Amino acid sequence: MTPRTRDVVVIGGGAIGSCVAFLLARRGASVTLLDASTPGRATSASAGGLWPLGESLGLGCGVIFHATKGDSTNGSKGAHAGPGPEPLPRRFMEFLCASNDHFPRLSQELLALTGVNIESELGTGLLYLLYDEAQQRHARAILDWLGAGRHRVEAWTPEQVRARDPLVTRDLLGAIHFPGDNQVNPMLLAEALKRGALAHGARFVAEARVRALELAHGRVIAVGSDAGRFACGAVVNAAGAWSGQIAQLAGVEIPIHPVRGQIVCTETLKAGTLRSNLSTRDCYLLQKSHGEVIIGSTTEHRGFDASVRYENARALAAGAVRAVPALRSATVKRVWAGLRPGTPDELPILGPDGRVENLFHATGGFRTGIVAAPLTAELVAAAVLGETPLLPLEPFLAARFAERPVEVVRGA
Amino acid sequence: MTRPLLIVGGGPAGMSAALAAAEHGVPSTVVDEGLDLGGQIYRKPTRPDGGAPPHRRGEQLRARVAALADRIEVRRSTAAWGIFEGRRVALSQDGASELLEPQALVLSPGALEFVPPFPGATLPGVMTPGAGQILVKSMGISPGARVVVAGSGPFLLAVACQLITAGVHVVEVLEASPRAPWLALPLAGFRTPGILLDGIKYLARLRLAGVPVRHSRMVVAAHGDGALREIEHAPVDADWNPDRARAVRMKADALLIGFGFVPRVQLAQMAGCRLEWRPEVGGWTPVRDEHLATTVAGVWAAGDGAGVAGALVAESEGRLAGLAVAHRLGALDAARFAALRGPIVARLRRLAPIRRALDAISLPRPGLAKLVDDATTVCRCEDVAWRDVRDAVRAGCTTYRSLKVATRVGMGACQGCSCWPGVARLVAAETKGSPESAGPASPRPPVRPVTLGELAESRIAP
Repeated sequence: MTPRTRDVVVIGGGAIGSCVAFLLARRGASVTLLDASTPGRATSASAGGLWPLGESLGLGCGVIFHATKGDSTNGSKGAHAGPGPEPLPRRFMEFLCASNDHFPRLSQELLALTGVNIESELGTGLLYLLYDEAQQRHARAILDWLGAGRHRVEAWTPEQVRARDPLVTRDLLGAIHFPGDNQVNPMLLAEALKRGALAHGARFVAEARVRALELAHGRVIAVGSDAGRFACGAVVNAAGAWSGQIAQLAGVEIPIHPVRGQIVCTETLKAGTLRSNLSTRDCYLLQKSHGEVIIGSTTEHRGFDASVRYENARALAAGAVRAVPALRSATVKRVWAGLRPGTPDELPILGPDGRVENLFHATGGFRTGIVAAPLTAELVAAAVLGETPLLPLEPFLAARFAERPVEVVRGA
Repeated sequence: MTRPLLIVGGGPAGMSAALAAAEHGVPSTVVDEGLDLGGQIYRKPTRPDGGAPPHRRGEQLRARVAALADRIEVRRSTAAWGIFEGRRVALSQDGASELLEPQALVLSPGALEFVPPFPGATLPGVMTPGAGQILVKSMGISPGARVVVAGSGPFLLAVACQLITAGVHVVEVLEASPRAPWLALPLAGFRTPGILLDGIKYLARLRLAGVPVRHSRMVVAAHGDGALREIEHAPVDADWNPDRARAVRMKADALLIGFGFVPRVQLAQMAGCRLEWRPEVGGWTPVRDEHLATTVAGVWAAGDGAGVAGALVAESEGRLAGLAVAHRLGALDAARFAALRGPIVARLRRLAPIRRALDAISLPRPGLAKLVDDATTVCRCEDVAWRDVRDAVRAGCTTYRSLKVATRVGMGACQGCSCWPGVARLVAAETKGSPESAGPASPRPPVRPVTLGELAESRIAP
């Protein structure tokens, strides 16, 4: 018997894959979620900032990305280069804002269904700290670009910053405040979505590294993995940094490259040590519900090497101590790195592959994968089920790279 | 300038490696977390009433290292808290960190005591035999007024004797293994009677003090409200399955419990060394060639940290590793190296049978995995209960990596060092598999506490 289209295998149990599995299962599809538990997955190395505006404007971890762009030698951060990061396309900003709006409802739904609290915190807000005049000028230009609209952005004085977050350094010119940019716990998000998928009848298979995609007549008919063979009517490729390799198993190329990001995490600190999420040109910092402060992140092109480079961890620590001097005495709990799926244009690759009929991609989230997860999953699930997506998928299709020579950044 | 050889851990293996390298002109730095060299086994008592005179062999090694002070730099109270990209070792001393990148690295960090999860294990008053030993030897503090020593292996006897000498009231020693393998020891050890003499001395000492050593008995739970008040122990069969119907309770305010040792492989893992599963020497150990080189270029592993085999084996391994380093760095030609290593290899071979017999006693048996109940804490750092892990196992998460993501087990400050060896056995019992298939923990730096300020201001040595 040929499997029905609704027999879907989702490859990758990170935030994106789990969310796709959850939505498909909720709509009655028969879903198998395969996870390889590969060390270095991006969900486990994400701080969980939900910064649709800050990130789109390049003032989240985009600042760090910009500072290190083109530096493939060690990813260490030198002087703040050039005029500053470019915003992502406005269309994608709207996409991220719309996705972010899903979190309050999703959080309640998952809590009721699975008992897992994804720690989606409203009201934390994001503060981009301005250390010097060049940053101030750049921030002003960005805000002009954004224009007056529905987006809430405020320029804050040092006094306002201090009133809100007394531990932030006094040595600054001000900050840009994004009151709608909050946070979530990415590990719990993925876990809750996985359990939610299970509650809706999906099957979860751990330790299932995918080794083969069996093709017949231009379709994937089965997925071969370390945990067995799974016949399928459709395949969703949500394998993050490894999704290019999954695509290759189906005989197609997608321009995904691993972008290493290092994270430093402190011991549990008093609640309210940081009230806002902070971003600076050296690092970002946010305190999670259980009290740990997460300091990220670097942007490094080192292939699939998910090890930690000492100099970079040290630079993150220095950046954190500069932003919040009181953190000097906080104990480091762990330092690690993850591989985020990058694309040449920094936009995700979503929807039907186009070359293999029943292969769908949900990848390329790079630095916005967590906030983009709900809407990404909506669009991909709709595509798998043959429904009309809420938004046009064209800007995100793998096919967009076919029009020009693909530039794949390779690790050193 | 960074010296060509860095040795992490100044126990018998580390000291011997430094001595062997120094004899051939290779300068080294030895770092150790202790106040002095010696490791756990040759720890120098810091108080006269510490329960035991300094070990003679330890004193000899320390004196020889001191005599070569121009070639062997010793950094005491120094922790290696991480290894980055191969051989880049981060050290912390007096709140300041430094990154060293030696040409050769010998890892000799020793072993950790193995304590499986059991109900009440987190009560104050429950500790490892080694922790009790440190209280007495280094601080002159008695672990309690009524002390029970329990678990498996000869180390229990040594600790019980030290406690008695220091005037501590030891109520009983509970050994999970039957008496039979103990009686077989003299046969296995006829070639190295030294080790056995120690054992016989310990037993005589305990008998003289009127402390019963009860075999085939195991602590199944510790009870108390905020602190240990009572322990519950039961007879066990040959596989250590407890007979709970015959469990008895007994008053105690300190329980020193340990079931042998687990190699400390965290630094080797961070260096990228491949591990292999060798349950007979404590579990996961670095893969080594005949000269103790790991799978990472320039990194050697010696002593209990590479497979628990005791101080004598550690000393020989350290010497072999030191010679191998000297040879690799060009200070010792192939012929001399071959001539020098011959007797060491022969000695290691001689020590093997006695080690096997001793190890067989403390080797954890399947019954150890039957102590937990739903609410038993299996990971202290992250406060994870057995029911959480068991549910995740039943949902298909059967390895460290997947369980960590699902339950946070092993994600705390200890990096899984303390909890994972025990949890892996529970997972294996649940899946009817081997702890091997659950995989090793994957530790992240820092394995010793370091502050953000210390990291931010740390120095990278030239």
